[in-house]
Amino acid sequence: MSLKYTIAPFSAWLQAVSKPFTVPVTGGPRPGAPRYRGWHINDVEKCIGCGTCSAICQNEAIDMVPVDDPVVGDSGLRPKIDYGRCCWCALCVDVCPSGSLGMSNEYVWADTDADVFRYIPGVDEKPWDDSELGWRREEGFELVDHDRVPMGMLDPDERTQTWAEVVIGYTEEQARVEASRCVDCGLCVAACPAHMHIPDYIGAIRDGDDARAVQIIYDNNAMPEMCGKVCTRRCESVCSIGVQGDPLAIRWLKRYATERFDNLAEVLQPQVERVGEGRTVAVIGGGPSGLTVAYYLAIRGFEVTVHEALPQVGGATFFGIPRYRFPMSSLEKQVDLLKSAGVKFVLNHRVDGDELTRMLAENDAVFMGVGLMKPMALRAPGEDLPGVIPALDMLREQNLGHEVDVGEKVVVVGGGNVAIDASRISRRLGAEVTIAYRRRVVDMPADDEEIEDAEAEGVEIVTQAIPLRVEATEDGKLDFVWGPAEMVQEEEGKRPRPKLIEGVENHLVVDRVIVAIGQGPDLDWLPTEISEKICNKWGYIEVDETGMTAVEGLYAGGDLVNDTADAISAIADGLRAVNGIVDKTRAQHV
Amino acid sequence: MTEQTALERRVQLWFGPQHPGITGNMAVQAWLEGDTLTSGVTHVGYLHRGFEKLMERRKFIQSFPIVCRICVPEPDTNEWLLAASIEELSGLDKEVPEKARWIRTLFLEMSRLSSMLMVLGGHVGAMGLGTAPNWLITLRDYILDRFEELTGARVYHMYVTYGGVRRDLPEGFAERLEANLQEIESKLPLVDNVIFDSAVFRKRAIGVGVVPEEWVDELGLTGPIVRAMGIARDTRTDYPYEKYGELDIEPMTTTGSDIFARAWMRRLEIAQSIDLIRQILAKMPTEGPYSAKLPNMLTWTIPAGETYVRAEASRGEMGYYVVTDGSDKIRRVHVRGPSYVHGVTLLERLMPGTNIADLSALMVSLQVCPPEIER
Amino acid sequence: MKSFEEILDFAIDNEQKAHDLYMDIAEMATRPGMRQTFLEFAAQEMQHRERLEAIKAGKLPELDQARVETLGLSEHLVDVPVEKDMDYQSALLFAMKAEQRAYDLYAGLAKATDDPNLVTLFEGLAQEELKHKLHFEREYDDVVLGDN
Ligand SMILES: Cc1cc2nc3c(=O)[nH]c(=O)nc-3n(C[C@H](O)[C@H](O)[C@H](O)COP(=O)(O)OP(=O)(O)OC[C@H]3O[C@@H](n4cnc5c(N)ncnc54)[C@H](O)[C@@H]3O)c2cc1C
Ligand code: SF4
Ligand code: SF4
Repeated sequence: MSLKYTIAPFSAWLQAVSKPFTVPVTGGPRPGAPRYRGWHINDVEKCIGCGTCSAICQNEAIDMVPVDDPVVGDSGLRPKIDYGRCCWCALCVDVCPSGSLGMSNEYVWADTDADVFRYIPGVDEKPWDDSELGWRREEGFELVDHDRVPMGMLDPDERTQTWAEVVIGYTEEQARVEASRCVDCGLCVAACPAHMHIPDYIGAIRDGDDARAVQIIYDNNAMPEMCGKVCTRRCESVCSIGVQGDPLAIRWLKRYATERFDNLAEVLQPQVERVGEGRTVAVIGGGPSGLTVAYYLAIRGFEVTVHEALPQVGGATFFGIPRYRFPMSSLEKQVDLLKSAGVKFVLNHRVDGDELTRMLAENDAVFMGVGLMKPMALRAPGEDLPGVIPALDMLREQNLGHEVDVGEKVVVVGGGNVAIDASRISRRLGAEVTIAYRRRVVDMPADDEEIEDAEAEGVEIVTQAIPLRVEATEDGKLDFVWGPAEMVQEEEGKRPRPKLIEGVENHLVVDRVIVAIGQGPDLDWLPTEISEKICNKWGYIEVDETGMTAVEGLYAGGDLVNDTADAISAIADGLRAVNGIVDKTRAQHV
Repeated sequence: MTEQTALERRVQLWFGPQHPGITGNMAVQAWLEGDTLTSGVTHVGYLHRGFEKLMERRKFIQSFPIVCRICVPEPDTNEWLLAASIEELSGLDKEVPEKARWIRTLFLEMSRLSSMLMVLGGHVGAMGLGTAPNWLITLRDYILDRFEELTGARVYHMYVTYGGVRRDLPEGFAERLEANLQEIESKLPLVDNVIFDSAVFRKRAIGVGVVPEEWVDELGLTGPIVRAMGIARDTRTDYPYEKYGELDIEPMTTTGSDIFARAWMRRLEIAQSIDLIRQILAKMPTEGPYSAKLPNMLTWTIPAGETYVRAEASRGEMGYYVVTDGSDKIRRVHVRGPSYVHGVTLLERLMPGTNIADLSALMVSLQVCPPEIER
Repeated sequence: MKSFEEILDFAIDNEQKAHDLYMDIAEMATRPGMRQTFLEFAAQEMQHRERLEAIKAGKLPELDQARVETLGLSEHLVDVPVEKDMDYQSALLFAMKAEQRAYDLYAGLAKATDDPNLVTLFEGLAQEELKHKLHFEREYDDVVLGDN
């Protein structure tokens, strides 16, 4: 072997006087790279406690622990990380729907107590809490699907020519894809007044088991096809995917599942204890709350009769909500199920005070869900002119199939669902429509999508417009006079209120002024002995946690009890009364 | 005094599992006559993980933190193989953006480079020479610095995902990587002096651990072991994946098929890797997305199917055979690591006649990675 | 009307009259819940009266002179007569208008006098009435005009 090979290795000695290979580090540990995956940090104000981080962690290193009382849209839980398990993969960070979870670039931490290596980032203070560097969620890399499957709708021009349903509905394929976006966090369940088992039925739709989905839906909603079409969807407003993307189309998925089946009785076949055998219950008012009570009591063996003043049950969903949103066939399908469950209906029958007293004596329970039937009046001069009409009356006439004439030009006063419905109906009746609303579009209680739909159909919205008076013009029209408003923010946490700017008057000459500023209870028919006990100062009815009023055996629910006044709240009230009545019956069995 | 029988002269010796000369969590049970092995049996079972089984219980995305553990010095081939197989079965492969494909090629080549720097040091470390391994581990650390800023971690990167990679290249990454490459190139002659020009290494490596050519197809040998016999086989050129088909690349070969040839093979491939990384950086687009839009990873299901995907790791051909059943989990995955054939079948054949002092060097030259055997 | 005391007595008497009126309406109210509403209004007037009495007795600081910004809600709405079947909307409207009239009264008195001390007192009382009006306006805005 050549001498070279004996000598060459000694060249290594040169390193003693050369620049070393290693990089000298002074002054503590070298900081981690800007996107280093070090100890977790969490912006606990932003975190919604959805637990998605915990769900994706394949090491089960994350426990969701209570730190606060849960509020709607926030479970009150926060992730606690166990570093005996964590492998610093940061999947938790990348999946976090709120973007609150991150990792600092700190990686050095020593302690003799092993238990300290389990902490709640953002709650248990750590030196790296304010670390600017480290791994963060990055837009453009999502482990969840932010994009909702778009819903097919009729073309706006086409819509005003027809009474057909505007929303087309998901196909099976679309529904499966949309359902697969759910991360099963369950925040929606808490937000839903009826606490529907949303992730469960969405999961069933995703897995292709629509029958199962409908069964789960009917656990606590007897009018789901209606809710699937018109629900105010509080659930969607808290959907964790909605924080950074589009919330799940929970309403449309419910609609999809229920529309899959024509004969619901075949699919459902509920297995519940028939505790109510031999007992009778009278329901006054066939709105969502009353029908809920009727269905869930009927399947439990109660003999239920629903008394309804109108020729059809459904309440405001029948006489208020227009058919292009909730067609008659959908309503009938749901009513058919009630009939098959044995519910009896007495239609065209308005219950009065004497009858109520009689009903209380003759039945085991009476449920009242008579809704808000009295439109609020403008109380502006000129309101009694012919041509100034309450929106509720106009919608009822339309839905009862009577001829409604709104002329060529209308102004609708108000910004709730009723106002939007009245304007879209007026568009379909051929009128030019302006909405005059006292506040801003963001303040409108109407559903955002409804507002958009109305605008797409050609409804013009004038905001911050305060009605001053209505005058008759010489050519038989109405001059709607309004003044502009400024928004004043007086109280912390409340929506700003409009205040009239004096001295300016605007005129809108129309054929009809449709008033849709709100509605209140109409309970004048109640016997005084009863109303004194059950009504509060606003004229609404008060109930306890079992849904019962201060009158023994008299239950109530729906718009005249709750302050949210939407269909799902009415259903929730109905469920509360069902539980109250069932529990009481059970107690009597013992 | 009676003569000792051959059997009585035989000594049984456990080499590992706790022996610094063993390459990872395994053991060799050796029988010696004098200091020469008459036979040896390999033992695994010290890992207690069951990677393949774990993956059957996890959603697709949750397997990334698992697969990287299959090889410490070179986890990235595993990440890529998992991504590529599931992408193929789900159809997501059509949506992987161009830039992501380039980043993945870069990432895989960086991984090969860092792994080869480490194992080259191991070659002489196994003979008790400490200088070169210390230097080479440092050179590898330069690459780990780049991995750290690219992926957020030095060793287990968890960077490739379905549909692309998890983050874009950081600002100025290419320049810093180039500086590292130059640093490495400037040090390699020093390394050569203490390895290939060292009498100790040459004496103990040349003609030792020779693998006969006939065994290649019989046992399914791949990688530097076969290229060190002069056979030009390389998955990157034979079955090009990601952007390897668009690079100027020829399989490297040398001859001798002994420990020295295999070490030299790695030295050649280090240079090749550096060249490839430069080519990639030059050709890579700077604009565009680094990931496809992903479906919800918590509920993702993919159609039933099966596939085998392969890649050239620094040790040889690595492959994943994956079966899916239409659910949200892998039905079965088989990890085909080169170490099974190299570290069990081949090693057991080579052991008879090997001097006990050379066993370590032999194992390093076969680049045995036990988690690949015990999946 | 000259002395500080006399003026406060006058104001106290006004609150008492308002209280009595609401008590009378409560007595005859037929609509569900409305009896309660008017009793509550009456109780509020009683509180106002007690507040003025405390001021008179020197137990409370002088009246707040800060200008109250109302919403100007009732000015353009029609007058409501006192009826037994008044509903909540009418009740609020009636109350808003009553507070506005009381304000007008004190504001007018403030203009009609030269004594700076009395001007301050009348203006303070006027603002006090506006505060009450604002209270009813907010309720009207929330409950009656919820959809508008
Ligand atoms: C135009 C309009 C649009 C709406 N849009 C939506 C929407 O998009 N989404 C949503 O969630 N909610 C909507 N709502 C609200 C929703 O319809 C109601 O919250 C819900 O119907 C209330 O249900 P309820 O059980 O309280 O009774 P209601 O639906 O109000 O029904 C009460 C029923 O009782 C009957 N009745 C009253 N008095 C008597 C009596 N003495 N004897 C016998 N029967 C009597 C009435 O005829 C009526 O049928 C809308 C309401 C209206 C008016
Ligand atoms: S995923 Fe994010 S928002 Fe949800 S609980 Fe975890 S840290 Fe909070
Ligand atoms: S970094 Fe990975 S292992 Fe650690 S808590 Fe997050 S998901 Fe779990």
